Amino acid sequence: MIGRITNQMTAQMTLAGIETAIDRVDTTQQELSSGKSINQPSDNPAGAALALGLNTDLSNLTSYSNNVTDGTGWVQAQSSALTDITNSVQRIRELTLEAANGTQTTADMQASAQEVNQLIDEIKQDANTQYNGQYVFSGSATSAQPYASGSNDTYAGNAGQVTRTIGPNTSLTVNANLSGVLGNGQTVSGQPAGDGLLLNALRNIADDMQSGNSSAVNADLSSLDTNLNSLDGLSSNVGAVQDRLQMAASRIQTLQTSDTQVLSSTQDADMASTEISFSTQQAALQAALQAGANIVQQSLMNFLGTGSG
Amino acid sequence: MTIPSYMGLQTALSGLEAAQAAIDTAGQNIANASTPGYSRQTVNLTERSALTIPALSSVTGDGAQLGTGVDITSITRIRNQFLDSQYRAQNTTENGNSTSSTILSQVQSGLNEPSADGLSGTLDQFFRDWNTLASTPGDQGAQQAVMGDGAAAGDQLNTLSGQLSTLESQVTSQYNTLTDPSNSAVANDANEIAQLNGQIAQAQAAGIDANNLEDQRDNVIDDLSQYSNVYVNTQSNGMVNVSFGNAALAAQNGTADATPLVSGTSVDLTDNVTDSNLSGAGGTLGSLLGLYDSTSGTGKLADYMTTLNGVASQLVTTVNNAISGADASGPSATPFFDPTGTTAATIAVNPSLSSNGTTPPYTAAEASAAAGLSGGAADQAYKAFVTQVGSDVQSAQNAQQTSQSLLTAISNQRQSISGVSLDEEMTNLIQFQQAYQASARVMSTIDTTIGSLLSMVAAG
Repeated sequence: MIGRITNQMTAQMTLAGIETAIDRVDTTQQELSSGKSINQPSDNPAGAALALGLNTDLSNLTSYSNNVTDGTGWVQAQSSALTDITNSVQRIRELTLEAANGTQTTADMQASAQEVNQLIDEIKQDANTQYNGQYVFSGSATSAQPYASGSNDTYAGNAGQVTRTIGPNTSLTVNANLSGVLGNGQTVSGQPAGDGLLLNALRNIADDMQSGNSSAVNADLSSLDTNLNSLDGLSSNVGAVQDRLQMAASRIQTLQTSDTQVLSSTQDADMASTEISFSTQQAALQAALQAGANIVQQSLMNFLGTGSG
Repeated sequence: MTIPSYMGLQTALSGLEAAQAAIDTAGQNIANASTPGYSRQTVNLTERSALTIPALSSVTGDGAQLGTGVDITSITRIRNQFLDSQYRAQNTTENGNSTSSTILSQVQSGLNEPSADGLSGTLDQFFRDWNTLASTPGDQGAQQAVMGDGAAAGDQLNTLSGQLSTLESQVTSQYNTLTDPSNSAVANDANEIAQLNGQIAQAQAAGIDANNLEDQRDNVIDDLSQYSNVYVNTQSNGMVNVSFGNAALAAQNGTADATPLVSGTSVDLTDNVTDSNLSGAGGTLGSLLGLYDSTSGTGKLADYMTTLNGVASQLVTTVNNAISGADASGPSATPFFDPTGTTAATIAVNPSLSSNGTTPPYTAAEASAAAGLSGGAADQAYKAFVTQVGSDVQSAQNAQQTSQSLLTAISNQRQSISGVSLDEEMTNLIQFQQAYQASARVMSTIDTTIGSLLSMVAAG
């Protein structure tokens, strides 16, 4: 399309060629040094949008993962407390069986009553278990100590739930309703409250042992067994929550891996191919510079004698 | 009738003069090989009218036409007006795209995305803090983290809004500087064209070629074309009328411009350098108005500001609503963001929170509701904003690169016609040097001839 080539054109075109080559090398160099193919949104707007979305997804997954870790700690604290409580109750059941067969003296039974009261205190202490400074068995009132030590068994927490979000729109209740099994026991020493729950049953046993009434102790056994069953049920609930947390952890791990992979393939530079482009572009730049140095110098004047004619 | 004895000398002289003029013109071309806007010149030569010698032939009795040499009719510029108008149209487009691309890139750099330090990363961190607070509702550290990162998100929105405002005022001041009627690039160019118009008309009336003045005028019109569209209408007296902006676009389509920017030797800035004539047109000025028009408060930057304000308002509303709707204590809880600050410039963490002392005011349910907003409306609105800015910058850069290469192509075509090729000029130099030597040889031959005749007469 162009007939005449003038010196200004050659100079401009050589310069434009060098500038283009430098610009390409510069872009590739930026990719190499940052390791990213998207350094600004304009490099790839769709990719940048995807990368921002994935970063938020990953941030959410980090939150879920933290929640699962926190929930697991919470549940493990409950689980070990429940095991201790179950052991204490089992020990009380043994003492109750011994007292119920009518062979023990009143003094023996009173000694047993003392042990039962100590065990009740231990149970209440286990119910006051804390995880990360929070009471795990006081419902959502996590700063309230559920049971005071001593003879007052009134539950000081609430029936609220503690939940942990472990996925989009998925929250898991991590607190076991221990107060539903323990109940309010007795409010005033010697005046059993009538809620029939575990603490109430245990206080009844202690009172009956104290009075040396073996047949009454025998009658208390059925209430104890019912409450022991509830306690077992609670323990297996906690176990189920632990299983769900474990599954959530592995699901989150998988999602984190795949999100990270997609993010990497979206915004990270392909080092091998970028390196190859870089050396190709460097060669092109060298060629452009060499052309500028050698070709632009040439003109008809190089071949004309100075004093021709 | 015979041939005049000394006529040959005049013929040889005209040859010498023509060769001399051609050599001088080649010298002028070589001297201006790198002068911007210079068009190469050429000497237009014609034969002189012949001398009719009646009955020269004694055989046929017919006469003959004897050549009397060469005539230098003019020295003219080699230039294609059609390429000029193409070049100017492309120059207008290129400068418009380059202006947009520069300003929009500045918006983009201000966003600092994608990176962990941009607003997107801060919002992610902010919502993670809420999640931590939901797990440990009584914890002072968790409460402070929420407050700190909430303030950071607010600060970033304030900063982005400030950057956009700064860019808006930069655009406005750039526009005002370029269009100032007393001393601006546009006014200076227009005045120079009018002045050159007068000089060229004078020269033309006196029958002189005004090559250098025309080169200058074309160069100034090229310069003017970077600001907005130009349309050049050449008059018979050698002057040009130049239309500007939307009027130039209309004139191109056949609507006569009653009030051109330059009409002969007069300049009309009041009718042409107006928002209405420049808005929507190309060039730097059209682009600046498209980015931000301070009179109407519209433009791309104003749109960005609206979008950013939408992000801030969404963030304030969704977080505050999530807290107040989460549980029984929600409606009486202190709103996290100051409910009166719903623009990007005014968004701030509720100042009454920091004076709240040691009691963390939010329950686990409230914190959890706020944490659930991660990836929600405000997040999405901001990401859409980033994507929009990214696409705008990308398309502006692509348009700029395309128009740049088109401009180079047209510039090359123009150079191909009007530019000086040193090789060509060297060739011309040799050619006319030899022509000069030959004419001189003719002259000395005639001298010798007449000399020998005279010596014979003397000897006789």
